[in-house]
Amino acid sequence: MTTEALTVVGSRGSRTRRRIFTVVAHVLLVGASILMLYPLLWMLASTFRPENEIFTSSSLWPSSWSIDAYFRGWSGLRVSFGTFFLNSFVIAILSIAGNVFACSLAAYAFARLQFRGRNFWFALMLMTLMLPYHVTLIPQYVLFLNLGWVNSFLPLVVPKFLAADAFFIFLMVQFFRGLPKELDEAAMMDGCSPWRIYWKIIMPLSLPVLATAAIFTFIWTWDDFLGPLIYLSEMRQYTVQLGLRTFVDSTGQSDFGGMLAMSVLTLVPVFLFFLFFQRLLIEGIATTGMKR
Amino acid sequence: MTLRFDRRQFLMGSSALAAAGAMGLRPAFGQDGRLRLIFWGGQDRADRTYKVADLYTEQNGGDIEGEFLAWNDYWTKLATQVAGGNAPNIIQMDYRYIVEYATRSAIRPLDQFVGGPLQLTDFDEDQLEGGKVGGQLFGISLGANSVAVLVNNTAFEEVGVEPPNRDSTYDDYMAMGEAFNSANIRGGMKAISDASGTEPMLDNWLRQHGLALYTADGKLGFGEEEAVEWFRMWASLREAGVCVDAESQALDTGAMESTMVILGKSATMPSNSNQLVAYQAISQDDLTIVNYPRIAAGAGGGHYRKPSMFFSVGGSEANAQAAAEFISFFVNNPDAAQILGVERGIPCSAAVREALAPTLDEKSQIALNFVANLGDLLGPLPPPPPPAAGEIDSSLLRTISQEIAFGARSPEDGARAFVTDATAILERA
Amino acid sequence: MTARSMETGVSATGRAVAKTGVWARIWQQDGPGYLFLLPWLIGFFGLTVGPMITSLYLSFTNFDLLTTPDWVGAANYTRMFTNDPKFAAAMRVTFFFVIFSVPLKLAFALAVAMLLNRGLKGLPLYRAVFYLPSLLGGSVAIAILWRQLFAGDGLVNQFLANFGIIGPSWISNPNYSLWTLIILSVWQFGSPMIIFLAGLRQIPQDMYEAASLDGASKWRQFWKITLPLLTPVVFFNAIVQTIDAFKSFTPAFVISGGTGQPINSTLFYTLYLYQEAFGFFRMGYASALAWFLLLMIAAFTAFSFLTSKYWVHYDD
Repeated sequence: MTTEALTVVGSRGSRTRRRIFTVVAHVLLVGASILMLYPLLWMLASTFRPENEIFTSSSLWPSSWSIDAYFRGWSGLRVSFGTFFLNSFVIAILSIAGNVFACSLAAYAFARLQFRGRNFWFALMLMTLMLPYHVTLIPQYVLFLNLGWVNSFLPLVVPKFLAADAFFIFLMVQFFRGLPKELDEAAMMDGCSPWRIYWKIIMPLSLPVLATAAIFTFIWTWDDFLGPLIYLSEMRQYTVQLGLRTFVDSTGQSDFGGMLAMSVLTLVPVFLFFLFFQRLLIEGIATTGMKR
Repeated sequence: MTLRFDRRQFLMGSSALAAAGAMGLRPAFGQDGRLRLIFWGGQDRADRTYKVADLYTEQNGGDIEGEFLAWNDYWTKLATQVAGGNAPNIIQMDYRYIVEYATRSAIRPLDQFVGGPLQLTDFDEDQLEGGKVGGQLFGISLGANSVAVLVNNTAFEEVGVEPPNRDSTYDDYMAMGEAFNSANIRGGMKAISDASGTEPMLDNWLRQHGLALYTADGKLGFGEEEAVEWFRMWASLREAGVCVDAESQALDTGAMESTMVILGKSATMPSNSNQLVAYQAISQDDLTIVNYPRIAAGAGGGHYRKPSMFFSVGGSEANAQAAAEFISFFVNNPDAAQILGVERGIPCSAAVREALAPTLDEKSQIALNFVANLGDLLGPLPPPPPPAAGEIDSSLLRTISQEIAFGARSPEDGARAFVTDATAILERA
Repeated sequence: MTARSMETGVSATGRAVAKTGVWARIWQQDGPGYLFLLPWLIGFFGLTVGPMITSLYLSFTNFDLLTTPDWVGAANYTRMFTNDPKFAAAMRVTFFFVIFSVPLKLAFALAVAMLLNRGLKGLPLYRAVFYLPSLLGGSVAIAILWRQLFAGDGLVNQFLANFGIIGPSWISNPNYSLWTLIILSVWQFGSPMIIFLAGLRQIPQDMYEAASLDGASKWRQFWKITLPLLTPVVFFNAIVQTIDAFKSFTPAFVISGGTGQPINSTLFYTLYLYQEAFGFFRMGYASALAWFLLLMIAAFTAFSFLTSKYWVHYDD
């Protein structure tokens, strides 16, 4: 938020130019926002529509209003949607803890430490990103079945604590490498152990990327449905995405109103989470006062 | 059994933690008298099914653990569970997949239970027959249904022509199409959808010609000549604007909400008798069903009563009998029948059907009467489709019909390609 | 990148030192790295490698999900290249998608991130709004939404009609249907945008201050400061987005109902793979498809890493 103050260079003419620029930017942004949001607004409107109007009307204004779909959706399934929210939260929070911790450890090793075989392991790690998950689904299921983990959250959470998501390792490696090298060199001279450097220097400086990782982990586990679909069988364990999919069966009677209403509700926590965490993203470096 | 054990062993052996698994970490598939039941469907079906399961455990003890999923998710999860050696005990099965699962011994033959735990005394013969693969009984039909044309009555009223009836022929539909075109209602609604790529429609048309989609030994039941005639007929319907254009038809991805009648593109389309209720729920117009068009006045024999879905038995040998007992309860018990209604199709036990008939709502009555009174429309039950039928339907017939509709192929060219490729697929499988 | 020189150095001196000394030295040099890598190594060997190797093995079998797989040698790979028109179609669709969606999405994400990195009021809200579409992910609702927008009588055509243009049914016309999926992908540009934003935040402000005192224009600042310092992030986004695009499954699956319609125009590689595996019970063939995809992506990634020396600027 400090760029404005920093870049203003005095003269009156440039100040008006700035003001015009600001107005134009806002107009553009609002316009773009509407364009981006139109489909979502339509979805929101549809939750208040009569069920049989959903597929024929493209207007944003329902012919008659009803919030019935929300009640139907919330308690229409055998288990209240609140339970699904709780389950999704538990899985998401554990996943964030796992990802931020385990992936940053591995990323620190790849980005900052010298050891033999580093490039080899890095290449292997990237390879795990490249194989479509459909073909490892069954062997993995057999593996978790033999561990007795099927029908629990373990197959969804434990891999996160073992840094199974290479995306985040790669992401953090890129950011760690961007931090000035003099920092750890100086610390090393002072006799700091790698652990202390990681914990006291790298982590605090990496708040933006850690926040990014937290945001993505939250959103992706919140949106994930294949993992929960395969590993969770009892409805009491369902996540919101599984709950949503339960509303609609392409071959028989479905509750589209309830599905759309709950889709809207499931967006709310992610949206709030995002609003909150993006602060960290923005503050990050500015508040640590790091300059070169 | 040994085969399956080997496979699991193999898959286990490949994973680094298998040692830990083999050394006695509790396996999740321990058997303790619990039956696992898996089915696809929406909440309505789930409510009914769970109620029957509760009723059964109240009266007979035991424990039934149900799980339901949407159609698209169902087959992925089922295949994963079965491949992992963790198959549920009672599996809802589709007509299309039963051959795949039965020929690979993923579900159990039920013949040994019939007459004992599995009572099928007044069960419809054709429905029993439909659950057989290679002469053995692999699935118990949960309801009969039949292909049917879904008709938007309201639209026909607006146009001012009579909706199709029992005697309507393809030519009659042509005439309706012209009436629709001159009336031009709702931004150009057409009389019929483009069903050139709809497998049951082609099947019905062939059967009226005395042919079949597939022969009993799993070969293509017709030749290039018929295929040309079929695709030409649709080309002329398309040209005359009787059926919807290619772009509209391609919006249909198989889900109910993307179909032509629901999107308001056409007033009729091929469907199934048991789906009337579900379609009505998402349409503002008054819907009904009628038989598929006849190829000429008096021609019949195209329809048959198809098992809408089955219960099959998978999982451990030890629980197979208990599973069969539950299925028997599910299809015979009058109280269960009251709960289930005709949501899965028309019950196959005559006694159950009679008890149920008076209690149904209007749309369910229509469906029941339709299936019960097919009369001269009814032909013999076709042999179970060969395993590759699904591939021919979903990746060949649909694609070629679209290529013709979009003008990328001529009907003649498309017909030739269809017959050649279908034969190749059948030979490979 | 000095690892290699150190390696040779160690082994040369290592021979001279007593046995215990060797281990101590190795521990001193490699220990911390492997210690930090430990969770990942456990996960890799415990959870990831087994299923991957299994799928590689299965790609040489006729595994049909339900019965024991038989070894068939390279038959699956041969079929891919000699006797499978749908494979060719899937390759075309996927490459087209990768080539157009990735650059568009990245350009869009970077432009918006730059715009949102200025000191405008209400920025947190804009950021959140722009991220919203990405939150929807592959929800079932997307299929309905996209039909509302891109069908013949959809919103896009209603808008075009104001200018006298009668548009086709974009989503169901084989000439345009893939474009609606590219638009969907670009519309969900949230993740790369956030990563760009985080990267922009890492660029020290004093560099801009110095530059503007020197009278460098904004445009020049972008090319001389922003872009070079952002290259590690650009590199990351490009690689990750390309891998994602190659593996893209959910959008096509949701929108075409898993069919790849119309006329296979949205038959993405992984969608085809999924059809083969779970629709037609050919998991062996699907595994072969998957490993060929892995080879293609790996080749692309290796190439990117090799060229990265010339355009990615790290601080080390």
